[in-house]
Amino acid sequence: MLNKDISTSVKKKEHDGKVSGQLPYISDVKLDTLLYGVLYRSPVAYGKVRSIQLPPLPAGYEKIGAEHIPGNNFVKILKEDQPIFANEWVNYIGEPMFMLVGPELDILYQLLEQVEVDIEEHQAIFTLKEAIEQKDQAGIFASHEFGEDLDVIQSIEKNAHQVIVEEYETGYQEHVYLEPQGMLGIYKQDEILVEGSMQCLYYVKNALVSALACEDDEVRVIQSPTGGGFGGKEDFPSMMACHVAVAAKVVKKPVMLLFDRAEDMEVTTKRHPAKFKYRTALDKQGNILCMSVELFLDSGANAGLSPVVLQRALLNSAGVYKIPHFHAKGYALKTNTVPNGAFRGFGAPQSFAAIESHMGHISKKANRDSIEYKRNYMVKQGDPTITNGKFKDPVLLEDMIMDLMKVTDYAKKKAEYRSFNQKSNRYKKGIGASFFLHGCGFTGSGERDHIKATVKLAKTENDGVQIKISNADIGQGVLTTMSKIVAKELDLPYEDISFPYPDTKVVPDSGPTVASRTTMIVGKLLERAAKKLKEQWQSGVAQEVIEHYVHEEMIPWNEEKFSGDAYPAYAWGINFIEVEVDTLTGNVRVEKVYGSFDIGKAIDERIVKGQIDGGLVQGIAYGFMEKMTSKSGRIQQKSISDYGPPTAMDVVHIESKLFDNPYAGGPYGAKGVGELPLTGGAPAVQAAIEDALQISFYQIPVTPEYIIESLMKKAGEALD
Amino acid sequence: MIKFKLNGKEVETSAPPTLRLIDLLRDEFDLIGTKEGCGDGECGACSVMVNNLVQNSCLIPIGAIECADILTIDGYSKTELFKILSDCYSEAGAVQCGFCIPGMVMASAALLSENPNPTEEEIREGISGNLCRCTGYNMIVDAISLAAKKGDGIW
Amino acid sequence: MVMHTVSSYRFESLEETISQLSKEDCQIIAGGTDIMVQHKSPRGVPAKFEKPIVFIDHLKELKKIYQNNQDIHIGACCSYSELLKHPLIPKILKVAIQQIAAPAIRNRGTLGGNICNASPAGDTLPLLYIYNAKIKLRSSKGERLIEIKDFIQGPRKVKISKDEILTEIILPEVQEEGTHFVFEKVANRRADAIAKISFAGSLRLDEGRIIDARFAFGAVGPTVVRFMDIEQTIVGEAFPLDNMVIDRVVAGFDRKINPIDDHRSTAVYRKTVALNLLRYFLKKRAFKEGHRIN
Ligand SMILES: Cc1cc2nc3c(=O)[nH]c(=O)nc-3n(C[C@H](O)[C@H](O)[C@H](O)COP(=O)(O)OP(=O)(O)OC[C@H]3O[C@@H](n4cnc5c(N)ncnc54)[C@H](O)[C@@H]3O)c2cc1C
Ligand code: FES
Ligand code: FES
Repeated sequence: MLNKDISTSVKKKEHDGKVSGQLPYISDVKLDTLLYGVLYRSPVAYGKVRSIQLPPLPAGYEKIGAEHIPGNNFVKILKEDQPIFANEWVNYIGEPMFMLVGPELDILYQLLEQVEVDIEEHQAIFTLKEAIEQKDQAGIFASHEFGEDLDVIQSIEKNAHQVIVEEYETGYQEHVYLEPQGMLGIYKQDEILVEGSMQCLYYVKNALVSALACEDDEVRVIQSPTGGGFGGKEDFPSMMACHVAVAAKVVKKPVMLLFDRAEDMEVTTKRHPAKFKYRTALDKQGNILCMSVELFLDSGANAGLSPVVLQRALLNSAGVYKIPHFHAKGYALKTNTVPNGAFRGFGAPQSFAAIESHMGHISKKANRDSIEYKRNYMVKQGDPTITNGKFKDPVLLEDMIMDLMKVTDYAKKKAEYRSFNQKSNRYKKGIGASFFLHGCGFTGSGERDHIKATVKLAKTENDGVQIKISNADIGQGVLTTMSKIVAKELDLPYEDISFPYPDTKVVPDSGPTVASRTTMIVGKLLERAAKKLKEQWQSGVAQEVIEHYVHEEMIPWNEEKFSGDAYPAYAWGINFIEVEVDTLTGNVRVEKVYGSFDIGKAIDERIVKGQIDGGLVQGIAYGFMEKMTSKSGRIQQKSISDYGPPTAMDVVHIESKLFDNPYAGGPYGAKGVGELPLTGGAPAVQAAIEDALQISFYQIPVTPEYIIESLMKKAGEALD
Repeated sequence: MIKFKLNGKEVETSAPPTLRLIDLLRDEFDLIGTKEGCGDGECGACSVMVNNLVQNSCLIPIGAIECADILTIDGYSKTELFKILSDCYSEAGAVQCGFCIPGMVMASAALLSENPNPTEEEIREGISGNLCRCTGYNMIVDAISLAAKKGDGIW
Repeated sequence: MVMHTVSSYRFESLEETISQLSKEDCQIIAGGTDIMVQHKSPRGVPAKFEKPIVFIDHLKELKKIYQNNQDIHIGACCSYSELLKHPLIPKILKVAIQQIAAPAIRNRGTLGGNICNASPAGDTLPLLYIYNAKIKLRSSKGERLIEIKDFIQGPRKVKISKDEILTEIILPEVQEEGTHFVFEKVANRRADAIAKISFAGSLRLDEGRIIDARFAFGAVGPTVVRFMDIEQTIVGEAFPLDNMVIDRVVAGFDRKINPIDDHRSTAVYRKTVALNLLRYFLKKRAFKEGHRIN
């Protein structure tokens, strides 16, 4: 099929295998002599390991621990603080201490129960609140501060009509990718092969090279079809890969590590809980004079990706607004809880929930409609970013808002709901909006300095073309979109492009599958590679072309000072959401969802719609449904239904619209779409609930418990 | 010995009666289409049909399926009806990571065979035990309505 | 290391099943939707049972639904889907059943299982309490009947002996005409969710006066709770109820209900919502057909 408009949808490459269930995920792989691994996990939140006593192991069963790691006993991410097997100190409940390996899972679990571990317990930090109070005692993984001078802020505050001080909190979010984590290590004469569910092949590979202290060609990583990731398979799989690789090397047999759902919920990374403290000075008319924010992320027990998550959280701390005299400060703090990591949005959903909430509350104080109020501060093309970069491309927010106000008949709807709410005792209706953006690609000069992506296109003698990149299809459609780009550029039918699941033996490092970078950055490289191949095309001859990342001229990013262009391009979005709240139970029913997005240009409309729908549903649920808590270092919700991600009955159709705004740096003008749609869900749903109940909320998720508590408080105040 | 019908064929097994049906299917019969997402009956990835009714194979001890007629995605995917569903899933863009999809297809099939013209509400209810974390469901709902139309008269 | 497998039985008749139970202490499995989760092992390891298994969900004797005099008899092994399709099952019970889990579970889970599992959050239980449902138990020694409130003792605790099987649930004299029912399940989502609190109520009116009132709450204590002494206080009152009467009834429940905090919700929430739902039901000025299910 020759594709005319790139946006026209095609059948997905892997459709048949997925729909028939025959495409093998890692848990579907069967091998002779396969051994299983089970992890012994720390029962203690913080302590020093005194001794480990194993029961006698039957023949064919082994303990694999730190003593078997030839290289460094840490998972290579940013800091060297995450042990592969915690053998000296344990820092959270569930931290892997060692692994038992053998042929029968039943026996392995029985053995695990007989292990005796003696750990000297130390005082642990369990909550973000404690971490904030004690942050100066060495619990800071990263911090940044930037913006207006505090002296200036102080003097503005002194002369202000009022200073609004507000705190806001966001909770955990669990990925609940449908396929639990799984990894397989295979011993071969000259290499260790690791296959599994993952987003970032070279993260895994680099971690293996470091752990095994081996040469580059002695480890090999192949991505299995991956049953969802959402960031949950960005950093976490590296640790599992080290576990199975070390084990496979010792026992010289394949070793499989598959998580149970409960295990997956308890010990894998989640979205960072966060706390925000705002101080905003207003004049008499309610205009903003200055704003300062302090934000804190609960990183869990080790740094992991938290320093980068913090950066993105900070970079989005002013939302889509141009705030006069803005100052921000942020910390990623340590607690003795399960480490938090990447999750679709990467710090931005927390910040947008917070700033949208805060701006909404200020508008109420100023007695102005929140949409109208926010529009006064909306950034425009040419405006500086909060780090003194520049929004150099057109910003279509105004058009998008005008359009949705019309589509939803906003003013009329507000009036309608007001009168409905006067009449209805039990149910109250409301409408809320959110405005947001997503910086595409790695922050700052990450692409140039750290990632340095390379892509390859290989042409066979039969003139078939194969894509060689390390980016993983985790359901978001990479196999299809990348093939479409290459096909279009080469004027070949889409079916002629092959894109097997990546294998580091074959593909160069085109970077990780994160940060909404794959389409925009890697897609662009493939577009260039395809152009080059077309120019050199010799029928009947095997050919290969390589392309390297070229950095776009921007205002140089300075990470120390937090200044310059943090991103080459931004994708934008707005949501309007309508809800009905049951005031007897606090249950919220989402009734209408609208979303408009500027993602440059859609490479495949259906795939983009899938990203919008899936992301938005996750974002909305983050705002009012999905609740995960930790008590004394233990995750409390260990099953899907206790955590409560939405079912088909909790969701309604989403009316989404794309605003074309091609970006020259992306293939066919495409920008990133993976993370953006999640970002606006929570703030819009919170605003809608606030509108329905005329109550302000200061945390998400806005659960029925929180709603009922707030309604009681309001009733109490009314009586006073 | 437990005897039952599996994807149209009479089969038997000597596995213990408390073994879960999902394990029997995947380990003994090498039918990998049935996926395990939770093992608690909470995700629907393991959905199969037992005597034409959709059920969670992770909750069924095989001792309970003596004489039953079991249909899994591996067998169902060889039928004409499956082809319609598969095409509609593609056309509606209903497949992302794919891990929920075999179970979702079995739930769709069960729904349509009982109710060939479901309303949107009925579709949502029909797949309410099948968690999908990628799609937000709407495109799956669309796929099922489309399949109802395309297969009009043969469900 | 030894792996033991237990024996299991699957008899053709109830008679043989009961006879086996008289000889050996067994684990009964009906739909298995509770028991398989409770006995689950980690991934890849078969469920663990201590006792021999008796499968009962295929027994035809336990799948009948019929009316005898005014009473409705429901076979213990009727699945939820079967109940939903049956014309004799009261509408309000169907409202509750429709909110249980999702179709696949409803195709397996049984009414007998819901009762014997005796979770305070069991969705059929509040209505069975206000119906004064009777539980019929059978053993090789014979049959006995017991009121549901006496049968259920606490979570997973029921008054059943080792040789007994629950055969029928009897709903005495269900008068749908003239009685106003409510069932509300409050949970974290609209399907596949366990109740944080549930409420069932019925009011029977005659010429503007209440002649019968029943209220039951789920998930606010170790068992479903019903307080007949409070119910009695509004029998004879004129409907719509006077606000003072409503306040008094709600205050009565306020004193008696003591829910707990857990990973699903909080004590405060449970109590507040329980009382909200009760008050709302009592405050009704009039009853219309049908009500909104959340
Ligand atoms: C994902 C999921 C969601 C669920 N959602 C809900 C929900 O929304 N609402 C709800 O109420 N429940 C829910 N449940 C619980 C469960 O499905 C119900 O309680 C169901 O009715 C149990 O019936 P069963 O036949 O499967 O019981 P089983 O698991 O077979 O048995 C449960 C117990 O009862 C005993 N038993 C069963 N039948 C008899 C009998 N005839 N005589 C003597 N003893 C007997 C068994 O020995 C066992 O101890 C859910 C379960 C799952 C897995
Ligand atoms: S694996 Fe059976 S329902 Fe999830
Ligand atoms: S497509 Fe990934 S869970 Fe449904």
